[in-house]
Amino acid sequence: MTVVTGSSPTRKKIMSIIAHVLLIGASIVMLYPLLWLMASSFRPENEIFTSGVSVLPSPNWSIDSYIRGWNGLRVGFGQLFINSFVISILSVIGNVIACSLAAYAFARLEFAGRRFWFAMMLMTLMLPYQVTLIPQYVFFLNLGWVNTILPLVVPKFLAADAFFIFLMVQFFRGLPKELDEAARMDGAGPWRIYWKIILPLSTPVLATAAIFTFIWTWDDFFGPLIYLSDLRQYTVMLGLRTFTDNTGMSDYGGMFAMSVLSLVPIFVFFLLFQRLLIEGIATTGMKR
Amino acid sequence: MSIRLGRRQFLMGSSALAAAAAFGSGPAWAQGATLRQFFWGGQARADRTYAVNDLFTAANGAGVDSSFLGWGDYWPKLATETAGGNAPDIVQMDYRYIVEYAKRNAIAPLDEYVGSALKLDGFDEDQLEGGKVDGQLYGISLGANSVAQLVNLAAFEEAGIEPPNRDTTYDDIRAMGEAFQSANVRGGIRVIADGSGSEPMLDNWLRQKGLALYTADGQLGFDADAAIEWFTLWQGFRNDGICVTAEDQALDTNGPLETTMVVMGKSAMMPSNSNQLVAFQTLMTDALTITNYPRIAEGVGGGHYRKPSMFFSVGGSSANKELAAEYLSFFVNDLEAAKVLGVERGIPCIEATREAVAPDLNAADQIALEFVANLGDLLGPLPPPPPAAAGEIDASLLRVLSQEVAFGARSPEDAGQYFVSEAAAILQRAS
Amino acid sequence: MATQVDNTASSGAGRVAPPSFWSGVWQNHAPGYLFLLPWLIGFLGLTIGPILTSFYLSFTHFDLLTAPRWAGLDNYMRMFTNDPKFAASMRVTFVFVIFSVPLKLAFALGVALLLNRGMKGLPLYRALFYLPSLLGASVAIAILWRQMFAGNGLVNQVLANFGIQGPSWISNPNTSLWTLIILAVWQFGSPMIIFLAGLRQIPQDMYEAASLDGASKWRQFWKITLPMLTPVVFFNAIIQTIEAFKSFTPSFIISGGTGGPINSTLFYTLYLYNEAFGFFRMGYASALAWVLLAIVALFTAFSFLSSKYWVHYDD
Repeated sequence: MTVVTGSSPTRKKIMSIIAHVLLIGASIVMLYPLLWLMASSFRPENEIFTSGVSVLPSPNWSIDSYIRGWNGLRVGFGQLFINSFVISILSVIGNVIACSLAAYAFARLEFAGRRFWFAMMLMTLMLPYQVTLIPQYVFFLNLGWVNTILPLVVPKFLAADAFFIFLMVQFFRGLPKELDEAARMDGAGPWRIYWKIILPLSTPVLATAAIFTFIWTWDDFFGPLIYLSDLRQYTVMLGLRTFTDNTGMSDYGGMFAMSVLSLVPIFVFFLLFQRLLIEGIATTGMKR
Repeated sequence: MSIRLGRRQFLMGSSALAAAAAFGSGPAWAQGATLRQFFWGGQARADRTYAVNDLFTAANGAGVDSSFLGWGDYWPKLATETAGGNAPDIVQMDYRYIVEYAKRNAIAPLDEYVGSALKLDGFDEDQLEGGKVDGQLYGISLGANSVAQLVNLAAFEEAGIEPPNRDTTYDDIRAMGEAFQSANVRGGIRVIADGSGSEPMLDNWLRQKGLALYTADGQLGFDADAAIEWFTLWQGFRNDGICVTAEDQALDTNGPLETTMVVMGKSAMMPSNSNQLVAFQTLMTDALTITNYPRIAEGVGGGHYRKPSMFFSVGGSSANKELAAEYLSFFVNDLEAAKVLGVERGIPCIEATREAVAPDLNAADQIALEFVANLGDLLGPLPPPPPAAAGEIDASLLRVLSQEVAFGARSPEDAGQYFVSEAAAILQRAS
Repeated sequence: MATQVDNTASSGAGRVAPPSFWSGVWQNHAPGYLFLLPWLIGFLGLTIGPILTSFYLSFTHFDLLTAPRWAGLDNYMRMFTNDPKFAASMRVTFVFVIFSVPLKLAFALGVALLLNRGMKGLPLYRALFYLPSLLGASVAIAILWRQMFAGNGLVNQVLANFGIQGPSWISNPNTSLWTLIILAVWQFGSPMIIFLAGLRQIPQDMYEAASLDGASKWRQFWKITLPMLTPVVFFNAIIQTIEAFKSFTPSFIISGGTGGPINSTLFYTLYLYNEAFGFFRMGYASALAWVLLAIVALFTAFSFLSSKYWVHYDD
């Protein structure tokens, strides 16, 4: 941490080495499960559970699990990747737009009932989803949306995910108020301030919201479980759950193989968007 | 919009849904002659089922829109769809839940179709009986199976003793356990898993004593003394190193096959089912087989029964009940279909289909088929379907108490008393 | 939520002598509601209905398959007078919240500070530390976790090198909850990312000015970094606490839904889920949910009240 008191070059160097050693050590702990996952995905079925937590490749390794897994589910996993991708991307767009609008209202605008609505918004975070599932299902069924992706995507465009509103509120409130006031003096309305000042200065938090939305939507299992019934519409996460059945034959190899592949898109998305995390005030023209 | 989901609306859910259906909200309904099917299972079961669906479509012209999930995900989804009045036309049912669903009209009685759309000539009487609730037929058994002891033959060979056979008693198990200890196979593998929390094993043991898990009127079929004897039996096995330790047994989360004691190499035997041998064998290199549960004493039998391993039922709100009945008829009668299905869901319930599948079975399937077909004096009558609260008694009472005894939090006496009194309370609350 | 202290200066600046009362109302309140519109539509249209329905259901017996029957306060009475599992699951959940939240936040903040220094290979480390959170609580993770913390698992193999004979962590009722706490802490990626975003938003010129004044790095951390980060610390603390109270998937996946051994990992929402979908008691489950909501809301309200004294906004 920023505990460095002196600034002599040797000391700095030592601290840097210590930091790297710590980070590398920790990285191994972080990485181990992934290595194990990959090792397991290349093992024959009857070796997976007899190999314990070894990450060494099996001498009998093969890519059968990948072929079997990819062609599973009759429709093939390619279709499932497309489905997950469409739902996740739409969710990112919906969340970033709708949540930033609401967050701007809560953080920067004065209006009657603001605190009430803010409290209501927080309340939606607190109720376990397990008990609203069935009423929600009945509602979407009445709309005729069940077995489409609408119940999974439309709520995102209506800022149903209070987490992101609250997150953005905290960041927007951290931006200096003088900016708004200066703009208002110049005759800018709320929309202009939102569009020209708040959003450009909020790249890190918008990127954070995009990353989380993509990953959490991709990983979400319960929504697709309840609303999608057609195999051709299954998401990757739902597909992964069809490999294992506690009562009969499972395909663990296929499950591990597709688990590894399912990480690729979210990891790539993270890598692409994490550069935006670093941009923002620190590097853009915050100095007025 | 929120007003549309008011309380009245929700209460009248089914009528609102009927209206929604009239608007053609479900894509499956719009086409009319397409059945929606939902079952639990893995890829292997799905491949077979889909192949049969194709055969049905070729023969009948009606399509089948089918999807599947693992057991754990299957039930919440089915409950949600049923609560919404949107249950599929054909659902897979389990012995445990059939009463629950039938009593609430979530699945439809099939008696009116028997003989016409649904042909059940030569269907095993006990399997037909197993699908009945209050005298009406709610489920068509897709195969029989039986509880069975899974045996790791390789471990027995290493221990240098004979594997158990159909005459093995609980006393013999103790002797085998001692032999395993002195042989110190694979760093101390035990002869048997801890069966004290296994409902089927308790059931089997009770039946051999002339008792039952549940009576026909849905009460507990045994008293505290029997429960105490049961917990004491296993406490002895545990203390003497015959069965696995409490910590090892607790690794088994009563679900995933990979957490079971035989797969984890902790024991050479454990309670299982005849139709699971194939699944276990794919996870292990050691040769496995199945045999019956131990006898309580020499010459005592009647503990086993041929249980319907799973049913197909027709959704209570299905608009295509007759077509669904035709599908069920095809599924259990058609010989081509039978060959495709094999014994993956259990042993077929009609003699002709059994003969059709027999020649193509692999070794593990053969063992299962022969085991279920030749139970002999081990076979007793089919017990009545368990009461609705049986699942809760199993999950939150039997399994927890068995662990509490194992970890020393309760004595067997205490656990036995508590089991009986608390089970009565749960049955009371559920009725 | 008594957070936003009215900024009289700014609202004074905005008030340009209104031509009429109604257009003043329009001018002052309409923009807020316009920006809030998508959320309002979603809230009133999608969210509040199911929430109120679940509140209604908490006063009924509802078995999912037939219509709910009015039960008055039965469910709440049973919970507080005749349900040992309610108490047990409460205890498990509180232990989980108390230990997992501070540890996870400490890790997340520590690593974020470490990664915020301009060192080499930074994006790589960031990605690596986020990886466990990508994995989520999948079946694969459940299998791995069971194998790592079993009696002969990796953890005990490492401990054996130090002469320690560990128990079977995951299947011993005394230690099983800790393996889930460790899992939660290990997946500290999300709060870490949020901390990083927060650190990035601190204006660099504040540090430059402080350096010119001769403030040490240590002093800069206490005087600039930490105060500027408090809105994000506040957010993470609240969110992580709410999430921990609602934690479901890890124990569901790892204990196979049983909450075992001996209910030692029976999280509150897992108990609720089993009641609803395992034993067909959605009415009771809804009552459980509303009690949880009350507890979490109380905690959140308290946090907001306290935030006046330690959270620094630039307004």
